[in-house]
Amino acid sequence: MQGATPPAAPAPAMAKQYDVLFRLLLIGDSGVGKTCLLCRFTDNEFHSSHISTIGVDFKMKTIEVDGIKVRIQIWDTAGQERYQTITKQYYRRAQGIFLVYDISSERSYQHIMKWVSDVDEYAPEGVQKILIGNKADEEQKRQVGREQGQQLAKEYGMDFYETSACTNLNIKESFTRLTELVLQAHRKELEGLRTRASNELALAELEEEEGKPEGPANSSKTCWC
Amino acid sequence: MDQSVAIQETLAEGEYCVIAVQGVLCEGDSRQSRLLGLVRYRLEHGSQEHALFLYTHRRMAITGDDVSLDQIVPVSRDFTLEEVSPDGELYILGSDVTIQLDTAELSLVFQLPFGSQTRMFLHEVARACPGFDPTTRDPEFLWLSRYRCAEPELELPTPRGCNSAPGTWPGYATIGGGGSNFDGLRPNGKGLPVDQSSRGQDKPESLQPRQNKSKSEITGMVRSSTITVSDKAHILSMQKFGLRDTIVKSHLVQKEEDYTYIQNFRFFVGTYNVNGQSPKECLRPWLSDGVQAPDVYCVGFQELDLSKEAFFFHDTPKEEEWFKAVSEGLHPDAKYAKVKLIRLVGIMLLLYVKQEHAAYVSEVEAETVGTGIMGRMGNKGGVAIRFQFHNTSICVVNSHLAAHIEEYERRNQDYKDICSRMQFCQLDPSRPPLTISKHDVILWLGDLNYRIEELDVEKVKKLIEEKDFQTLYAYDQLKIQVAAKTVFEGFTEGELTFQPTYKYDTGSDDWDTSEKCRAPAWCDRILWKGKNITQLSYQSHMALKTSDHKPVSSVFNIGVRVVNDELYRKTLEEIVRSLDKMENANIPSVSLSKREFCFQNVKYMQLKVESFTIHNGQVPCHFEFINKPDEESYCKQWLNANPSRGFLLPDSDIEIELELFVNKTTATKLNSGEDKIEDILVLHLDRGKDYFLSVSGNYLPSCFGSPIHTLCYMREPILDLPLETISELTLMPIRTGDDGSQLESPMEIPKELWMMVDYLYRNAIQQEDLFQQPGLRSEFEHVRDCLDTGMIDNLSASNHSVAEALLLFLESLPEPVICYSAYHNCLECSGNYTASKQVISTLPTFYRNVFHYLMAFLQELLKNSAKNHLDENILASIFGSLLLRNPAGHQKLDMTEKKKAQEFIHQFLCNPL
Repeated sequence: MQGATPPAAPAPAMAKQYDVLFRLLLIGDSGVGKTCLLCRFTDNEFHSSHISTIGVDFKMKTIEVDGIKVRIQIWDTAGQERYQTITKQYYRRAQGIFLVYDISSERSYQHIMKWVSDVDEYAPEGVQKILIGNKADEEQKRQVGREQGQQLAKEYGMDFYETSACTNLNIKESFTRLTELVLQAHRKELEGLRTRASNELALAELEEEEGKPEGPANSSKTCWC
Repeated sequence: MDQSVAIQETLAEGEYCVIAVQGVLCEGDSRQSRLLGLVRYRLEHGSQEHALFLYTHRRMAITGDDVSLDQIVPVSRDFTLEEVSPDGELYILGSDVTIQLDTAELSLVFQLPFGSQTRMFLHEVARACPGFDPTTRDPEFLWLSRYRCAEPELELPTPRGCNSAPGTWPGYATIGGGGSNFDGLRPNGKGLPVDQSSRGQDKPESLQPRQNKSKSEITGMVRSSTITVSDKAHILSMQKFGLRDTIVKSHLVQKEEDYTYIQNFRFFVGTYNVNGQSPKECLRPWLSDGVQAPDVYCVGFQELDLSKEAFFFHDTPKEEEWFKAVSEGLHPDAKYAKVKLIRLVGIMLLLYVKQEHAAYVSEVEAETVGTGIMGRMGNKGGVAIRFQFHNTSICVVNSHLAAHIEEYERRNQDYKDICSRMQFCQLDPSRPPLTISKHDVILWLGDLNYRIEELDVEKVKKLIEEKDFQTLYAYDQLKIQVAAKTVFEGFTEGELTFQPTYKYDTGSDDWDTSEKCRAPAWCDRILWKGKNITQLSYQSHMALKTSDHKPVSSVFNIGVRVVNDELYRKTLEEIVRSLDKMENANIPSVSLSKREFCFQNVKYMQLKVESFTIHNGQVPCHFEFINKPDEESYCKQWLNANPSRGFLLPDSDIEIELELFVNKTTATKLNSGEDKIEDILVLHLDRGKDYFLSVSGNYLPSCFGSPIHTLCYMREPILDLPLETISELTLMPIRTGDDGSQLESPMEIPKELWMMVDYLYRNAIQQEDLFQQPGLRSEFEHVRDCLDTGMIDNLSASNHSVAEALLLFLESLPEPVICYSAYHNCLECSGNYTASKQVISTLPTFYRNVFHYLMAFLQELLKNSAKNHLDENILASIFGSLLLRNPAGHQKLDMTEKKKAQEFIHQFLCNPL
């Protein structure tokens, strides 16, 4: 007899596929390329012509981070100033926010300050932010230095990526990074999820939290929605 | 828009709105919109209870403020929900779904919209039904008590009072707002959307006699409303983890060959009837006969313990003894892990795998089936262990079938009973239990007890001595029964190359010498079923002498599907990507023919319409203009979208008209600049995007809607004044008493009023039915333009039109001629002329002037009553409600107030001023 130990982990093939769902939001001035970032990430497509997003759009994407299957709903918002009173109202539903500027537009970089203050005012506490300098392929038109981006990100305690939806630079990386940050921020809930093993209960409970509305009654369970 | 979110906001902790659908509650001829939410409550011990919450609601419910709980129907055992076709009507594809909801207490009929949301809803409700499993507890619904208030029967419609339980329905009081943007003067007279007014109606009795329909019949029908493949795409976008997970799994199963390969593993299968003995000798000759260590051991025993204690108390020290003996007898070249031990009285099965394989064993389940005394007891029967090894499902069965040579039919029946009654739970409790036959590989071992028939004992022994097993095998009952397809259908057995394993004198290799002198038989057998299985050996082990049986073993090479991790990941990613893609393609999306709307030079009471087309993409969807945060309506009061909500089929169009109309309610703020012709509308697609539509334009200020005192300070026509001046003057407060104004000297009354009255005085003093015939809209617009531009000389309109303009002017005054503050005083002294005059004298100068001026004019009219047929009563009734308006709500005066107001005016018409 060589010892009778119980079997270890379940076979990988039929493991549970989805653990978490949450929302990420893209904000920044009109024309910095928010919609392009989204299209590149979800559909791996790029269209150079600029069509203003007038409204709020979203797409779904499933990625695996740290062994957890994450379904993210990515919201793309209108950047134009006149819509901002309305788009701000969408912030409260996000767990993670991309603040996007265009490296070829000093103005869009300057406006990040205003976007950050809007996030502070409207987004839920503990929302994760990441700074994106998009259009990194347009080196010849560059108005904002890489260090400037880094500097600003540092000031606000954010991670920073220069991306290009056109050349697919750092797209997956930045989305994955923000997802990681959100996961980390909600580590406690996730631990609970994991220790309850791969049963359906755990899933459903998280699902419930996902669907729960904001409000004081819900304040004990922070901002999964 | 998932309306369950709105419901969720109203629920308590622990309650979860699984899904919601908006439907119409049908009671007789009454049709009322209701939001139906399926609410789940999880009890402490892990089970769940459900109830249907029915809400009244305003518009498409978006927040908790929009809904108000109407009644609760617990999903109890007698709850049924049945799809019915409306009386006598043929079912029309794509039409609404009519459902009937029954419980012991009530019966309700709903119409639900056609589509996947309704399908999902019915599916979820069917799943929530507690079913008829007598082993589960009846749901108690204690959690609903907080909704019950004083009502003893929570199934009854809860009275309205219940709804406003503190803190529960914060929005209750505000419901019913957001009605029409337009008052009665709206030009096209279109009504309100139907369901906005439905809130006001009180709920009629909803109890109907319960229909007589057998329970099983009804639930059967509901349960059959499952989701078809064509619905899959829609389900996906509902963000239900469970469903998506299931789809991924089914894709993975379909594509299994893409990421798995077949690898052979060595399985040792052994069976031994130990006749109630304890292990006395080493089992290695049986278990470790081969050179190569098996990967998996399946070892079965029968008659482990023949004592009464074992039979009645199911407890025996033999279990541990034999487990230990087996564990010690396993092949010495490998380390093994015990996966499972299962025992039914004397029938025991042990499963071991090499330790390195343990991580690939999953979903291990073990079950027993007794077929002994009374057909149920454990002295005969079978035990089984099922498990997943890598990606192959394996079931090992050890059975001890009925004894005695003539009982072969009983044995066949035992086999069938074991097959039908052996059921394994699945990981996913919603899936049906697994049976033995649902496995890729089945290994069946045991004392099957089939004997050798027709031959007498001596003949049998002779054939054995001659090792003529082939001849002997022809008389084997199992062989005969399998050939007759009465048992072990689809199973294979290897060739019997060993002598029968029963019955020996214990401790020897001698045939039974007891009184009964049993004929030898191949009682102990091993069979298999499945693909990629090769038998390497099939033998008995004569060396073991503990029992009256000899143990039997077989070694197999079994091809198991093993996952290539890298390919698996790739396949999974592909599936996930394609699902994401499908899901994104199924997010409703439309295109709009126009998104910016400019209304130039909007005038008072002039309808302006701009239209645009919504073109739908490939996903059917509901659209609706939704409120912006902190706003009561989806747009400004002077605007209206028609229709403001609706349903779009794939690739279909709908034209939306944006109607702009400034009336007395909205004019003043547009004059003052506090409001502008500027708005953003949010067009929301259910489960989809939001589109912003911007409205801009400019309003041409008008004397209509301007206060009396403002107009008195406007010496110029209003349209000749700069906007800032108009704004300033409009915002100027009313001053009571004579004000030594710092502004340039005001006029005594508004010149526009004078213009109209003067016109009537000159042209209409004898006009029959003056103020009683409607004017022409086109002429009103002309009058308005003349007044606002000061081109009074150009005024040419019928007397009736000018008269109507005068009435409209008075009606649109933001502060009536008799100021709101004086309203109640006036009513009080109605009938006392002196006191009435006293009240009038307290009015601000301009207002007093206007009042006297109008009364003087009316008295002039009365002097000509012979011609114009006017009398004091007619004029008092027309002007009473214009000059005296209730400050609380100037729309509806109650009759006594109306009478008093008329009486008040009447005094001034028949007495000298």
